[in-house]
Amino acid sequence: MSLTSRAFRALTRLLPAPVAERDAEAICAVYDELDAEAHRMRGWIGGVTTLATELPGFFALVVREHAAGWRIRRSTRRQERMLASYQLPYSEDTSMVESLLQDVRYAVRALRKSVSFTAIATATLALGIGANTAIFSVVNGVLLQPLPFPRPDRIVTVMDRSGSGTSGIYGSSPANFIDLRRDTRSATHVAAFSTQRVTLLGPGEPESMQAVTTVGDMFGVLGVRPLIGRTLSPNDDSPASPAAVVLGYETWQRLFGEDRSIIGKSVTINRTPRVVVGVMPKEFRFAPAPADLWIPEQWSAEYTGNRDQYYLQIIARLRPSATVERFSAELEAIAARLRTDHAEFNTGLHLGATLLKETVVSNVRTRLFVLMGAVGFLLLITCANLANLTLARASVRHGEFAVRRALGAARGRIVRQILTESLLLATVGGAAGLLLGQLLLRVIVAAEKTSLPRVDEIALDPTAFAFAIAASLVAGIAVGLLPALRASTASSMEALRQGLRGSGTHQGARSVLVVAELAVALMLLTGAGLLLRSFRQLLAVDTGFATERLLTMQLNVGNKSMEKVEESVERLRAIPGVRAVAVTSQLPVSGRGTGAWLNIADRPTPPNETPPAEAYRVITPDYFSTVGIRLVRGRFPTSDDRADRASAVVVNEALAKKYWPTEDPIGKQIRLGAPGNYLMPPSTIVGIVGNTPDAGLDAPPIPAVFMPLRVAPWWPAYTYVIRTSGSPAAATSAVRRELRALFPTTAIRNVQTMDDVLHDSMAPARLSMRLISAFAIVALITAALGVFGVLSFVVAQRTRELGIRMALGAAPGDVRRMVIGYGSRLAVGGLVIGLVGSFALTRLISTMLFGITPTDPLTFGVVSAVLLGIGILASWLPARRATRIDPIVALRSD
Amino acid sequence: MPGRPNSDVESQTPLSAQVFQILLSLLDEDLHGYALIQDIRRRTDGEVVLTASTLYAAAKRLLSSGWIEEVEHETPPPGHDPRRRYYRITARGREAARAEALRLERLTAMARDKRLLGGLRVTPQPKGSR
Repeated sequence: MSLTSRAFRALTRLLPAPVAERDAEAICAVYDELDAEAHRMRGWIGGVTTLATELPGFFALVVREHAAGWRIRRSTRRQERMLASYQLPYSEDTSMVESLLQDVRYAVRALRKSVSFTAIATATLALGIGANTAIFSVVNGVLLQPLPFPRPDRIVTVMDRSGSGTSGIYGSSPANFIDLRRDTRSATHVAAFSTQRVTLLGPGEPESMQAVTTVGDMFGVLGVRPLIGRTLSPNDDSPASPAAVVLGYETWQRLFGEDRSIIGKSVTINRTPRVVVGVMPKEFRFAPAPADLWIPEQWSAEYTGNRDQYYLQIIARLRPSATVERFSAELEAIAARLRTDHAEFNTGLHLGATLLKETVVSNVRTRLFVLMGAVGFLLLITCANLANLTLARASVRHGEFAVRRALGAARGRIVRQILTESLLLATVGGAAGLLLGQLLLRVIVAAEKTSLPRVDEIALDPTAFAFAIAASLVAGIAVGLLPALRASTASSMEALRQGLRGSGTHQGARSVLVVAELAVALMLLTGAGLLLRSFRQLLAVDTGFATERLLTMQLNVGNKSMEKVEESVERLRAIPGVRAVAVTSQLPVSGRGTGAWLNIADRPTPPNETPPAEAYRVITPDYFSTVGIRLVRGRFPTSDDRADRASAVVVNEALAKKYWPTEDPIGKQIRLGAPGNYLMPPSTIVGIVGNTPDAGLDAPPIPAVFMPLRVAPWWPAYTYVIRTSGSPAAATSAVRRELRALFPTTAIRNVQTMDDVLHDSMAPARLSMRLISAFAIVALITAALGVFGVLSFVVAQRTRELGIRMALGAAPGDVRRMVIGYGSRLAVGGLVIGLVGSFALTRLISTMLFGITPTDPLTFGVVSAVLLGIGILASWLPARRATRIDPIVALRSD
Repeated sequence: MPGRPNSDVESQTPLSAQVFQILLSLLDEDLHGYALIQDIRRRTDGEVVLTASTLYAAAKRLLSSGWIEEVEHETPPPGHDPRRRYYRITARGREAARAEALRLERLTAMARDKRLLGGLRVTPQPKGSR
């Protein structure tokens, strides 16, 4: 029997004894079969899911069955109940559940008596558990859950191991892919894809869509079936086949209203009519990239021999017997052949393989684990603080427990009593936390919509639900265990002798807890401080251009549209409120973009070697003045720089420095592209322009060549950049109207201001910083409450002693110093431990930092000062109260 | 327990979706709990999902209303789990299911009258179909 099945069987003991005897076996029989089915289909996750789905209904059943029992017994039991809660051992006929229910009833009564404690405890637990549940849901959906394909552990991505690429994913040329597919033995399916923006002409407006262009049996690699129709097969790759398209569910639903008769009909994609052959199911997500539709490449016979266009990502499904290592070795052997057979295209090529999931999520792993760690810390502090409060309550209730023990309650019963109380708190807190977590999750998902892979697979699913329950249980036990053990070990005789007032025996434990809280709070605070500082550094980065009042929008104009693009620029410039207009193939701060071989005229590439590849952008001459990129040397391009005569280009500082560190690049001849496939004639470098942080504000600039539109008239998709004199929003509709008139069948997309582009590029850093700062602030407040609580308690406990001291002539200042001194010692203890922990932990976030080291002295200094300050502040109020003790009253008390 | 006042069929409509589905599943054959859950999940395309506990609770209510009864399986199939309980629909249960179905039909008819749904009668059949 599976573990989950056994767990459920154990739970059936919660049913009232008569019901359990009669029906538990029958219920378990059904459950076992459900559980077995779920295990067959989805393994242990299925088992856990079944249990999680079962639990709400089961608990409702338990409650209902008990309620039915109670209604009958209620009237007769009322008197006995009061007595029973003070008595032990139970009479023989009390079942485990009934005694448990007694504990719960008693706990409810106790908690209702101290409303403020209950409120604070529930609220802090809700916060801790809610934050943990939300972040866990993200971690679970993105990192832990397998990709939603059959046997996802068989799907791998081909990686570039030569160390030159930045992402590590191999960009293959068509011919290399064909060789690789032919020569692999350990994969059952091999396919390649690339992504592009396309315009789909459907029933309504032209729509801009994210298309995945596939080669080979892509859907076979993923192992998915269509909802209706068929998927793409290698047959569709032949140029002789009719052009096909497979639609994503959302595309189908939004544009075609879930019309099943769409199969076999034609839609126009980038001016090519294509037959819709299939629709994918709603749950299907193309893991490696966002996708609205899939189209086959359909290479010409000539293009299948191409080895200089590196743009294909290759994924493969391994044979059941193969391992990733074996496949990697095979790929490396293929790479070795390619290195010798086609040396001029494959210099230094080394290949390997990684699980597809790795390539999808590796970028965000650190960030998510750091967040998980932060919320874990937050929950730790919360629990420590509540344990502290519970200890204080246990001290106050010392007398109550003493009486119960004197009346014969066993130690276990007292332990259980306190644990029941804390578990009850944790249950209520956990339930509230689930709601809170759901809210927080929504905020995170909305903020990370574009920056987190698999974001639409994130949900508060049964696993996350089980996590929340487990977190609540652990929190409940963590909060109650120490106080429970403490309360039960106290000798009953001594307690009775002390009378029913509280005892001060738990100060040691409570101080340790407070020091721990302060230490953990400091670690969180340090992390938050470091992230905050790097974020400020990020904001201070010189972008190299003027971002304000710059409107941008993208348009896929087609590849024979140079005149129309030039005309559109002229027409947009005539719109009132528009000061300057230009187009570019790649906006600043939006990635590397396309690259090509860089051939330098006076440095020919040795035979059998591949020239370096560099990024290029196609621009209109006014681009630099419109965006505000400065000229370093030479001149900006003009409309006289054209492919057919005196072809000229501009390069950025990064490229100039990389290739001509000691010379002047101006006047040098370069040419982009490969033999037989040149992007431009040999062209002269006429100017050097400033860098822009294209790979992100925190990354070094990318070397780039800028080709004027008339040098590269074939480029098909542009971003318009429009500098306005007033607000960019005011000009938007006029600009759209003009563009729509000129390009009626093309979708305009990504209409946003440059400030928005920059803002979006910082979204992940911003969110991490905000979340961790919020967690740190909550942690700090909680820890401060801890200090305050302990000191208030100390003062209250030592009222008599303090009263005597003051009666004997101690000045209020002495008393205040004593109390604050105690608080400061706690703070210093927390500070020292916290600093050690911070030094150890902050290196884990070093990849998330920018412009500062993980041991940034300023951050460490400031957070230390904050922690000490808060510690002293939290001691101040109890200290003041201590100085106001009236000796007479103090001595008379008790 | 026949004869209990709450077993009056008319007074118990509308039925919960789960109860109605259990009755529907039992119309053709006697089924045990797990088979019931599977049958309902399959027929409703996963829209009505019962768990062991909710099935038990619903079956208990149905048993006490006298709409279904427990039956012994005369010839247990191979691999039979002796803990399984088989349920059979009673005449009263059949009547209740039918009352519910009629009620739903009346509701649907009202919705059609208001043109919320396509009318049954006005669906044009292309010539030569069927």
